[in-house]
Amino acid sequence: MTSPDQIAAQILSTKSLPVSQTWLNAFLSSSSTAQRNIPASALAKSAIFRLLASDIRESLSKHRSYVLPVDIHNPAVQERRLQGSIPVQVLDIEDIGTSLWSQIEAIERVERGEAIRGREIVRTIAIGEDPEASENNRANNNPANGAASASGNSGYGPHRLILQDAAGTMVMGIEMQRIDGIALEKLAIGAKLLLRNPSVARGMLLLSPESVTLLGGKIEALDKPWREGRKARLLEKTAGVERE
Amino acid sequence: MARKILCVAEKPAIARAVATHLSGGSFQTHAIRGNQYVKNYEFDFNFGGAWGTCSVTMTSVVGHLTGLDFDREYKGWMSCPPGALFEAPVQETVDKDKLPIADNIRNQAKYSKALFIWTDCDREGEHIGSEVRNQAKAGNAQIEVKRAKFSNTESAHVRRAALEPVNLDEYQASAVAARIELDLRIGAAFTRLQTLQLQTVVAALKEKVISYGSCQFPTLGFVVDRYLRVQNFKPETFWGIKVILSREGKKVNFLWKRVHLFDRAVVTMMLERCLLAKQAKVTKVNQKPTSKWRPLPLTTVDLQMMGSRFLRLDSQTIMKVAEALYTKGFISYPRTETDQFDKGIDLKKLVEKQYPDNSWGQYARELIDGKFRTPRSGRHNDKAHPPIHPVSWVSPNQLNANEKKVYEFVVRRFLACCSDDAKGQSTEIEIQYGDEFFHTNGLIVLERNYLDVYVYDKWESSQQLPNFERGELFEPTEANIFDGKTTPPNYLTEPELIGLMDANGIGTDATMAEHIAKIKEREYVAINQRGGGRSSVQEFIPTRLGVALVEGYDNVVEGLPNSVSLSKPFLRKEMELRMVEICSGTKTRQEVVQQSLDMYREVFIHTQRRINMLKTACRKYLVEETTS
Repeated sequence: MTSPDQIAAQILSTKSLPVSQTWLNAFLSSSSTAQRNIPASALAKSAIFRLLASDIRESLSKHRSYVLPVDIHNPAVQERRLQGSIPVQVLDIEDIGTSLWSQIEAIERVERGEAIRGREIVRTIAIGEDPEASENNRANNNPANGAASASGNSGYGPHRLILQDAAGTMVMGIEMQRIDGIALEKLAIGAKLLLRNPSVARGMLLLSPESVTLLGGKIEALDKPWREGRKARLLEKTAGVERE
Repeated sequence: MARKILCVAEKPAIARAVATHLSGGSFQTHAIRGNQYVKNYEFDFNFGGAWGTCSVTMTSVVGHLTGLDFDREYKGWMSCPPGALFEAPVQETVDKDKLPIADNIRNQAKYSKALFIWTDCDREGEHIGSEVRNQAKAGNAQIEVKRAKFSNTESAHVRRAALEPVNLDEYQASAVAARIELDLRIGAAFTRLQTLQLQTVVAALKEKVISYGSCQFPTLGFVVDRYLRVQNFKPETFWGIKVILSREGKKVNFLWKRVHLFDRAVVTMMLERCLLAKQAKVTKVNQKPTSKWRPLPLTTVDLQMMGSRFLRLDSQTIMKVAEALYTKGFISYPRTETDQFDKGIDLKKLVEKQYPDNSWGQYARELIDGKFRTPRSGRHNDKAHPPIHPVSWVSPNQLNANEKKVYEFVVRRFLACCSDDAKGQSTEIEIQYGDEFFHTNGLIVLERNYLDVYVYDKWESSQQLPNFERGELFEPTEANIFDGKTTPPNYLTEPELIGLMDANGIGTDATMAEHIAKIKEREYVAINQRGGGRSSVQEFIPTRLGVALVEGYDNVVEGLPNSVSLSKPFLRKEMELRMVEICSGTKTRQEVVQQSLDMYREVFIHTQRRINMLKTACRKYLVEETTS
């Protein structure tokens, strides 16, 4: 029979996730009926699957080597580097390279069904541009340029994330260099990231491909309302006329 | 039997021009009874081939001869439920004012062995040709029918067309017949429905006919869509970083690769990290030859877009003027989608014709003396007409002010097409400063080439950049945060509207200007002047009624799966695509009419059922107006 310790060790070595003892025990006892004949690796796999859908405040260890410093937000600190691997979950993602208003317009295009193939509407035309540019535009009856905006993919970021560690400490993360998988449509709320020796400047975590590993996952109970409420939140923010 | 050929053009002016060229200027003119514009011109001409030398009567129609309408019992607005108009019987009859013209053709046909049709070579022309053919056959069932293929009224071109008759394109004529029937049924059904229903809602609409047209509404839709985007817009503040270096007595501005961001704290943090790095490193020095391409050969859509932008004429005026220049033989047929010149056309000869001009004659000479280049080819070819180009030179004092502008544009564009691209040298410098990247660009124009004649394009040298070496380090003179605000889009201008109609498949190049004029005439949109003086621009703003109609129809289909609003381009776009299928012979007129009617009937039923949506929208926008 596989011991909880073995499984915890396996999860730590494959995913660098320090699973909480209590959570693991609960997991094992809930699946105890079948557990006897399942090999440790398979059991670890199904535990990881559950972990990625869980709230890490309940499922991961709060040991101080696996969490963010509590004073991480201190804006007086110009720069510091954190040590080790720290798992966090995504609570919010925003595109700060694109105006709120154009993000709202992109959502509305989708609401009107214009993201459906053949239902795209060309809304802007470049007039008297460079011949190369205007030709590209002409070709745009169906294609690429319009498609990105019509499908609601608003922009290329950079993105501003709100991240939370196992102890519940929240911090803002800034995508300093393009990271694959960090995008409004791709990254679910509750997705898990692993931070590796990340830098912090003025209270903001600096995210780059070297300092971030995407583990994936999603917290359904957070993701669904986040998506449904996104337009309303954007509208509310623009109502203040200026964004600061 | 007399060897007589009856020629029929689309307009009196074309009949006269063709008669002049074929007869060498000596012909007899006879008035016809009942119409003061149409004349019969008589002369002899050797057609060669099977016909040989014949006496010719050259006459014309004035556009379409016949009209399509419902049978009498359906004509009254209260005679039937509007929905019945989707099936009600229709009849094609000769318009009352065209009866003398039809009589003339029937009479002349009696004495002719062949009918030679000289209507314009496009879809409408093909249909008008079929109307002429029907009249001629009614006068002489045995008459042979041919048609001339021509795209301008220059003498040699016309004579060649006379020697090479072709057959009428029945497919194209059917496509127009289908469109006419659909426009009638759909237009009448919706116009009656919305007029009868909305008249009762608001006093302001009591006496008004609220017309519907399947092109007008999507056209209006674009104007309203942009208007609402402007109205609803909320400005937002953004921040960015700019880096300046003073070197060799020059001030170089570096632009941030991220352009700007909408979070001040983040930008501040990023700037601080730049400053901490102290030195910037040059990561790229790219020097390469660059060119600005000469324009493509001119199409109708481009003429309308560029014309309303540079010549300050609205698209309908431009088309009328171009039409006049074509009829007089100065430019080629102005309705064309083709942006590639056929290999057979002698472009140099056309350039030479411009030698006498005071403004660009010298330029034309230089082209022939060695600077001539074969024009670029675009992707469009309607297989009927070449791109719009000048066919002969005309002295400016023979033209009125608008003709002068349009003729000049057509010539300059043509000469530009036959010129070399403008050449220059571009320099791109990229630097890394902290984690951030910045760049600056320089341009030196070396040879202006086509820009010398095409005064509408601008391409100018920038300030010269100091020298940079790849990998070199330097300390920027300044690095600062700047801020700014997002601005709303502008209201729609005419060139943009034409561009949108074209891109979304509304109307054909030939009819776009009419649809735009229609929505102005119906008071669905108004014109607003932005700015003053030379830089003033005309913009379209919807009226309250215009906004109400679009919102009403959008609400009618709100929440219905697979149903699209009449204010959107899709239904019309599909209809236009089906017209093309008739032209290529893959669908019949009957099939297309049925399919398109089914599509619109569905929306009609929704509209009837949810007519309150339309009424509410009208109340919302129009009652407010009367009380305020």
